[in-house]
Amino acid sequence: MLRPILIFLSTLLLWALAAQLNHALAPWRVYVFLGSLAITLPALTFSLRPGLLASFLGGLVFDAEAPIPFGTHALLFALTHVVVFNLRDRVPRDDTLSRVVIALFANLGLFLVFSFTQVARSPAPASLWPRLFADLACSQLVLALIAPWFFALQTRALALVTEETNPSRYA
Amino acid sequence: MPKRFDQARPFLTLGLLVAAWLIIPTVFKVFTRASFFELTAPIGVAASYARDLQEFWTLRLHSNSELIEAGRDLARLNASYDLAVQQNTEMQGEIARLEGILRLPSYTGFRSEHARVVRRDFSGWWQRLTIRKGKNYNLVVGAPVVFSGGVVGRISEVFAYTATVDLISSQTVRLAAVVEGDTRPISYQGGLNPTFGSAGGVLEFVPLDIFASANSTKRLVTSGLGGVFPPGLTIGAVIKVEPSTDGLFKSGEVKIDDRLAALTEVTVLIPISSQ
Repeated sequence: MLRPILIFLSTLLLWALAAQLNHALAPWRVYVFLGSLAITLPALTFSLRPGLLASFLGGLVFDAEAPIPFGTHALLFALTHVVVFNLRDRVPRDDTLSRVVIALFANLGLFLVFSFTQVARSPAPASLWPRLFADLACSQLVLALIAPWFFALQTRALALVTEETNPSRYA
Repeated sequence: MPKRFDQARPFLTLGLLVAAWLIIPTVFKVFTRASFFELTAPIGVAASYARDLQEFWTLRLHSNSELIEAGRDLARLNASYDLAVQQNTEMQGEIARLEGILRLPSYTGFRSEHARVVRRDFSGWWQRLTIRKGKNYNLVVGAPVVFSGGVVGRISEVFAYTATVDLISSQTVRLAAVVEGDTRPISYQGGLNPTFGSAGGVLEFVPLDIFASANSTKRLVTSGLGGVFPPGLTIGAVIKVEPSTDGLFKSGEVKIDDRLAALTEVTVLIPISSQ
């Protein structure tokens, strides 16, 4: 139970940092979404239930302040978690580079699916997509930059409560 | 266990999770959301206090002569505002007399509550501010929020000591507006937020005899209809109108004040009747 809590706390930290970054970027109308970082490590290294719980709780953090039905992020995070979990035996998952690539693809999927759920509310959906693509590009760039640090942070935090330092044994 | 079932097990678990989430009572979800919000709120509030402290120490670096100059400028401004307050009081008295004579319903009174901005959340999906006052200052959902440049938005949620404001640039905000000098209501909705550009909104049901362009803009103000916003507050500048497809009205675009994206303090207008 301690491991999902550590992942949840790291997600809280990620959310707080992203919120401060978005606050600073607001005058330029740029927004960064880093949701997939919350699910990548638990999906790649945890067993199903603790990992799913950690991803779901992380989604609820993102849901808490968003003007959408509560649980939207959480269910999308859970779906992404399950997809990555199902694919993890077919992709290299122990080196940082492959984890970053998986996080980038997961973020792309999350961002696009979430955008499709929101775009219908816009009075001018066609004019919304250029903004969303610019946000997506910035999000992917920032994600690629901070993902190695964030995974290292999560790995170190998990190592505090795990005798084995091999990440694949966290489950 | 068959391998095929083993592969489907994660999706089965996900299906159970989704089903459980769908049948959970709304009360539980509302409580959970409020709990998660109050869990995350101190993080943003602490960061905003840290920014205020940073600004304070930055201001401490100003020289005495700069402060004296600023004080002199403020004294001049205060003198002109004092005069405006006197004129305002006289005009309010005149309005009250006319309302009495003509038996007109009086305008809703508002109490002003200034609040610091905790967090700006300007995505392509929504545009929101979190402010550092909530139920502890009797803020109410739907209260208009303004700044020196006009309308900021309206309060969408109130929590223990923070509140969230939907900005007028957000697609979730729709209100009745009028072009300055005209009385016919127009529908305004936010939602145009290009990267590195000015925020804006779209207009519908614009009368055919109203013309505006980027070179000859018209000021768009609140109509006072609907009872949320007092009349006459600036929304933005109408930069484009063109005939809509039905030919009965025009549609158009509004450019919103760029300062809206960098606000650090706003004023909430709380209807006196709600207290």
